[in-house]
Amino acid sequence: MIAPVEAYVTLSAILFFIGIVGVIARRNPLIQLMSIELLFNSANLALITFARSWGNNAGHIFAFLVITVAAAEAAIGLAIVVIVFRKTAFVDVDEVSTLKG
Amino acid sequence: MHPLLLLIWLGPLAGAVVLWAFGPQLRSLAGPIGSALVGVSFMAALSEWGSATLVDGSLEGVRQPLFAWLPQLAFGLQWDRISLVWTLIITGVGFLIHVYSIGYLAGDRAFARFFAYLNFFVFAMLTLVLSDNVVGLLVGWGLVGLASYLLIGYYIDRPSAVAASRKAFVINVVGDVGILYAVFVIVAKIGAIGYGDIFAKLTAFTPGELFIVCLALFVGAAAKSAQVPLHTWLPDAMEGPTPVSALIHAATMVTAGVYLIARFAPLWSASADARMLAGSIGALTAITGAILGCVQWDIKRILAYSTMSQIGYMIMAAGVGAYSAGILHFLTHACFKALLFLTAGIIIHNLGDEQDVRKMGGLRKQMPFAFAAMLVGVCAICGVPGFSGFFSKDDVLSATLAHGHPVMWFVGVVTAGLTAYYMGRMFLVTFFGAYRGNIDPSELGMRHPELAGTSQTAGRHPEEEEHAPAHAPAWLMSGPVAILMVPAVFIGWIAFGPNGGASAWTQFFAPVFPADVPVPGTPPDWVTSAIVLVLIVAGFGVAFLRYGNPRALLDAVPRLRIEAVRTPAILANAFYFDTAIDALFVKPAQAVGRWFGSVVDPRVIDAGVREASISANWLGHLFRSFETGLVRAYALTIAFGVACFAIYYVVIGVGR
Repeated sequence: MIAPVEAYVTLSAILFFIGIVGVIARRNPLIQLMSIELLFNSANLALITFARSWGNNAGHIFAFLVITVAAAEAAIGLAIVVIVFRKTAFVDVDEVSTLKG
Repeated sequence: MHPLLLLIWLGPLAGAVVLWAFGPQLRSLAGPIGSALVGVSFMAALSEWGSATLVDGSLEGVRQPLFAWLPQLAFGLQWDRISLVWTLIITGVGFLIHVYSIGYLAGDRAFARFFAYLNFFVFAMLTLVLSDNVVGLLVGWGLVGLASYLLIGYYIDRPSAVAASRKAFVINVVGDVGILYAVFVIVAKIGAIGYGDIFAKLTAFTPGELFIVCLALFVGAAAKSAQVPLHTWLPDAMEGPTPVSALIHAATMVTAGVYLIARFAPLWSASADARMLAGSIGALTAITGAILGCVQWDIKRILAYSTMSQIGYMIMAAGVGAYSAGILHFLTHACFKALLFLTAGIIIHNLGDEQDVRKMGGLRKQMPFAFAAMLVGVCAICGVPGFSGFFSKDDVLSATLAHGHPVMWFVGVVTAGLTAYYMGRMFLVTFFGAYRGNIDPSELGMRHPELAGTSQTAGRHPEEEEHAPAHAPAWLMSGPVAILMVPAVFIGWIAFGPNGGASAWTQFFAPVFPADVPVPGTPPDWVTSAIVLVLIVAGFGVAFLRYGNPRALLDAVPRLRIEAVRTPAILANAFYFDTAIDALFVKPAQAVGRWFGSVVDPRVIDAGVREASISANWLGHLFRSFETGLVRAYALTIAFGVACFAIYYVVIGVGR
């Protein structure tokens, strides 16, 4: 049996909320990066759900695009984390605030 | 096309430009070049005499259209009898004064600049009198004011000269505004600026508007011609070099007011109120100048007040409608007053820039030529029968009476007596008795505080002393004076009508001005002449008793000191005109300026700039507080924004 669209959207929203909370509440950059992956994937889930329910393939294409961007983001994000770790020996994003006004 | 007209007009301009541009290279050639161009202008004016007196139908003289500034704003030259008289005086007397200046200013370091200014003045004055429209007249009016300003302040390192030039300029601008206003009204009502067009459509004015136009014009005339209460700049203008006083502040520029009234004669003829106003102010000025002339000690100031008084006569005559009498007095006055000033210049020059008559005395033997020239000038200005002033002054007075103004006539007659007194006083104090140049000034009452303002000799600037030895031949100064003595004596005879018939002068102006029709019951002219003659003798007699008789000459020094010290305050302060103008206009203007400086500038302008910078700073601080550097806070803000969008679309979606 095929689950109704609402179920997929609800799951997507739950994943998105978990991701948001992860980004905001945790201070470890690695956890934050993982939470961001969660956000991407919740968005992917919503895109594919709507694409299938409306019979429009644009959503699939966007999902592939998001996966690509997510890969790049993860690579750059991890690179930044490594550099910051080497410089400061902290693994806490709140300590990285030298650009504040 | 009249090329000679252009030569008359532009010759002096060419001189001014050349001397301005190449003055330092030309050096002492500057004087002869400047003089020659004015002389050429004079010869051209003489040769165009015939065309000025042409009568072609209703049109008199010739018109030379030149160019149009704007559509309906054409500029051209008008060459008629009025322009002719003024042009001949401006260029003729101007030429003589140019020549005289070569001697007077020989060795001055700014020799070329002086002649450039002087040529520029002649050009400006010719623009004024040759223009065929009111706008051109206004341009000339402004330019002569500028030339006057430049020449009064010629000694730029003498603070009193700079102050005097500024004062003259400001008061003259008051007059310019008056004429500008008249131009506005004329253009608004008639839509034309040419004299002919204006006079052809005079019926477009209501009597009230006509009076307003005349009043506005008269403000201009009063400022330029030193009429009460706008006269205070003229005595101060004597700070300029003496030839300037002779040319601008006696012979030509200050009579521009008379020209204005004569040029706009149809307007004045149509407005009895305007005639009354101009005549009264003229008479008032005549007597005021004469009274103040009686208490001056500076020889140039005495002559300045006498100039003011004589212009009062001219304005009075032209004002009441006796235009040709006013112009005649202008003509004779230009000759004898230029003579008086140039003679005074010779005395001042020879005494090493001494202008106070108390320091002179006994110059009759030292300077016989100046004595003779001054004698001629004094006789002419007093109106001794046979001299030029006799004809013109009596013409002015009898014409005033003939136009039905006995009060003005009376004031004018009294002024004639006073004129004889103060000119006699100046003459006797200067030329008779013993030389007082080496007497301590305080013994002559010269350091009296109330008289400090009347002595111009205090602040001579050192440059003049350095250049004092003049290396110009003496004839450069005495020649023009000698030539001027001829018209000062004889030019009045053109107004001599044998056996009461029309004189050459009245015939000359017959096509221009309406004939004087005496009001019934006017006594014949000889009555005026006789009364004036008695008063002249009386005035001179008093002057002789006080300054000339042998007993008075013996103790001249203490007498002069007592007179200087005892001068009534009201006369020493020139009827408080300066004080009043100071209190009414200068002080309030300065107070407003100070108020702007102390309140508006710091509290409005500076404060505005300061507030703008403070708020920019404050705004920066506000935005800075958002930049915490906490990535998670940024993320929360973004999440909050996304949530807002989400809620917005959900609500809108539900609403639909």
